[in-house]
Amino acid sequence: MSTTMSPETTLTQQSLTRRRALQRFGALGLGAAALAGVPTRARAQAKAPVKLTFWTWENPQQRPYIVNRINMFMQKNPHVQVDVQVFTFGDLGKKVSVGFATGTAPDGYATGDWLMPTWLARNLIAPQEAKLLGYPSVDAFRKDHADAFVQGSIHDGKIYGFPLWFYGFANYLNTKQYREVGLDPEKDQPQTWAQLGEIAKRLTIKQGNKFTRQGFKFAMHAAQWTMIQFNPIVAQCGGQWFDTSGKCTINNEAGVKAMTIRASFVRQYGAEDPADTIATNPLPQMDWLKERCAIFSCHPIPPAAIKSQNPTMEAEHYYKAVLMPGVTTDKRYSSCYGFNLVVSARASKDKQEALQDMYRFILADPVDCWEATAPFTMARKSGWTDSPKVKTFPDVQAIIAAKDTGVFLPRTPVWTELADAMHRATQKVVLNNADIKGALDEAAAEVDRATAEFKKG
Amino acid sequence: MPSRRRRGLEGAWLGLLPLAGLTMLFLLPVIWMVTTSFQAGEKMFQLTTEWIPSVWHPENYPNALSRAKFPLYFFNSFVVSGLVMAGNLIFCTLAGYGLAKYRFPGDRFLLLVILSTLMLPLEVTLVPTFLIVHKFDWLNTYQGIAGPLLIDAFGVFLMRQFMLKIPSDYLEAARIDGAGELRILTRIIIPQCKPALAVLAIFAFRDSWDQFLWPLAIVSRDELRTYPLGLVRFGEDYGNPPTEQMAIAVLATIPVFLLFVILQRGLRSGFGLSGLKG
Amino acid sequence: MLWAFWLAFTSYDMVRSPRFVGLENFVSLSRDPIFTQALANTLVYIAGSTAVILAVALALALAINTRTRGARYCLSGIFLSNIMPIIAVCLVWRFLFHPHGLVNQLLSPFGFGRIDWLTSESLAMPAIIGVTVWRFAPYFMVIFLAALVNIPGEFYEAAAIDGASGLRRFRYITLPLLYPVMFFVVVVSALLCARIFLMPYIITGGGPGGATRVLSMLIYETGFSYMKMGRAAAISVVLFAIAMVFTLLQMRLFMRGEED
Repeated sequence: MSTTMSPETTLTQQSLTRRRALQRFGALGLGAAALAGVPTRARAQAKAPVKLTFWTWENPQQRPYIVNRINMFMQKNPHVQVDVQVFTFGDLGKKVSVGFATGTAPDGYATGDWLMPTWLARNLIAPQEAKLLGYPSVDAFRKDHADAFVQGSIHDGKIYGFPLWFYGFANYLNTKQYREVGLDPEKDQPQTWAQLGEIAKRLTIKQGNKFTRQGFKFAMHAAQWTMIQFNPIVAQCGGQWFDTSGKCTINNEAGVKAMTIRASFVRQYGAEDPADTIATNPLPQMDWLKERCAIFSCHPIPPAAIKSQNPTMEAEHYYKAVLMPGVTTDKRYSSCYGFNLVVSARASKDKQEALQDMYRFILADPVDCWEATAPFTMARKSGWTDSPKVKTFPDVQAIIAAKDTGVFLPRTPVWTELADAMHRATQKVVLNNADIKGALDEAAAEVDRATAEFKKG
Repeated sequence: MPSRRRRGLEGAWLGLLPLAGLTMLFLLPVIWMVTTSFQAGEKMFQLTTEWIPSVWHPENYPNALSRAKFPLYFFNSFVVSGLVMAGNLIFCTLAGYGLAKYRFPGDRFLLLVILSTLMLPLEVTLVPTFLIVHKFDWLNTYQGIAGPLLIDAFGVFLMRQFMLKIPSDYLEAARIDGAGELRILTRIIIPQCKPALAVLAIFAFRDSWDQFLWPLAIVSRDELRTYPLGLVRFGEDYGNPPTEQMAIAVLATIPVFLLFVILQRGLRSGFGLSGLKG
Repeated sequence: MLWAFWLAFTSYDMVRSPRFVGLENFVSLSRDPIFTQALANTLVYIAGSTAVILAVALALALAINTRTRGARYCLSGIFLSNIMPIIAVCLVWRFLFHPHGLVNQLLSPFGFGRIDWLTSESLAMPAIIGVTVWRFAPYFMVIFLAALVNIPGEFYEAAAIDGASGLRRFRYITLPLLYPVMFFVVVVSALLCARIFLMPYIITGGGPGGATRVLSMLIYETGFSYMKMGRAAAISVVLFAIAMVFTLLQMRLFMRGEED
């Protein structure tokens, strides 16, 4: 979606030719009338015009918010002209890569923070200045953001990404189905994986070999989700993705234990049917929204999203978000991830500055952001968590706790290869009953190969 | 002979039943697509398919079209595919003619080279083609999307094979009469090639209409997107049932199907089927 | 294309300049189980699809060539699957192969239980082959038809006079006359299958566990997801070599045809 110039911008552009001036006579008239009200403003901001390209991803709540803020920014800064393009979530990274390869990359773009190592390793993004982002120092910036997040954004003491949303996964329960089988959504929250297995078994309804209702499901449709949902289990079991030498260790004891837990819902409890899913990339929680499964762990789900697929569920509010289960009750953490706004290292200095100014503006009103995009939480700590609008949101405590206690996804420049390898291993284990150790061994070998390739350069 | 005629008539209708059954089997997925496009979103994953929807939902169509700029996407696809079809008709004919009627050293080799460029999938040549198109400054333009598809080795080959069948004596006679090359081409060759041109037209259009990977690479502005890009990214919004996706799929099938119907007779003779009875 | 060949000998991540590495890409590919799997998948896919397409196309052509009234419409109906936009084809079949989708619904009266087509390592490839046959067989059916229609009727009449039955006529007249066409069908079908990308990409995403990932998908992933263009180019050289074999066969076909 591209945005167009406003009449005021036309006026302050230096390169008006006489013909264009005549053509814009109508706009001129309008603009003059508008400007007459704010003469000081116009004069103060008569800087050199800047044209920016900015790319972001499609999401029904987040994208409109970003685009609206950018439009507001352009109105306040008439010398800046931003061309916004929107891509699908999966495509954005690839398009940016190809853009860098061919010299057509945008000046600024939004990126998932798990891709930060990829950009940093190839020196594609530029450091940003704390002052332009609204902080007196890098330290102040660091303190104001969730720890897990800011580690990926700060590199070598410099800020490389300006955080937007940052959230963890919560466990979403269908409370109506809970009550149907005589469970209490408050007291019978699954706190451990074993408990979740038992509860899921009770919630499962089968007709022959078809599951009318699955108790609990893991997402099967995309590597990204496999990683996000598997990562905390690994951490809870004390496992590690890589050891200090860089070798992939997902196939060690802890990793096998984690995968066994993952597969237990199919193999042990009979509560999941991984082949039967209607989830798609845009709607991973589709099975849960259509009440085909009772419990699903997911990023924060906006009420509007629930309403669009299952208006009754939203109207009667028979759902609840709780913390993920843990291996033990004290380790109930989930994965957390988020989005950064970054600046291309190849953009000119004045473009970089204009971008950082814009980024600061996008998140200048965190409470407004929350209102528009709830319950997507922000990485920033200050300025919004105390607002009553936040406090009265249903289940917000669980959602914020998920973010604060979440573990980060593995930070590695071979993230894509790692995710793909894990996705394949999970498919083999869960869909085709493969031996867990064998599948993990293969995945680890793949990742090691990719790391070796990457090191060669 | 009466017995043969009787047998012939019976045979004519008897064979139709299994044949029609076979055709229906082949068409099942298409029928499913059309039926589903009128279904309610909830019905998508029931245990049995409801072949005739109990409740028709024609609003799936305008709903689907409004999810993204689909009318614009379809328009873009039309423009690009039209360009590609026209380009193929012109260039493949010229190239085929050159390869068919002119003998020059290395013409066999050239044919081999042309054919072999066909054999590489697009993903391989994606980046260099992209760079070339970028140099022309054709990113995010119709000519950029259509460019690499304007001539296709299969098409060249097809035209060449067809033209080989035209006896050179015609051409010699025309040349002796003083006709220029261009006139030979337009007055003699092309009219004889009408069936091949029909085949070329429909397949060039269809292949361009199908294109996904190349427009994905070359287009980064929403105004230039073609419908496959819109279709695959369908439902990035919350709340687009697959039934609407099917509606777009049906809409996408119609233009190619129409073209096929229009060119049917030409197609049949182009394939050499004019002798088909029935 | 030449650029692609040159790239195969370099390491290129699209951002920094390509770095010449000689045969390293090829060596590491030969040791990579993912590559071997994709290679095997591609060959299995080409062989399987071509064989089935050949059989189905011939059968369809024979069925339509029986002077049946209305065969012309059946011809057009069947051909529709070849015309339909490939994206629509992929999306529709992905739904049809769902555990509770149409395919299983149609098979269940015959006693088949629930079959997880797209999530089973052994069945996913046959499913893709099935879609391929559905899509391409009509095109080759038409090719066969053209050949069948142009067999002079005298041959059959002579055989009928000699008292040959339908089956013997088929075996001794039709089939031998069709050998060149069959050869053509095999070659062109193999070429089409070697290049296939969208079908596995959209229907199974190359899964499960890489069971349906063919070489063109691997090329795309290696180049665009993992940003290893040099390695991707090396894989495409392999794919090109495979395709080249078939192309040369096709060339020989036509050259011989011309010299007749």
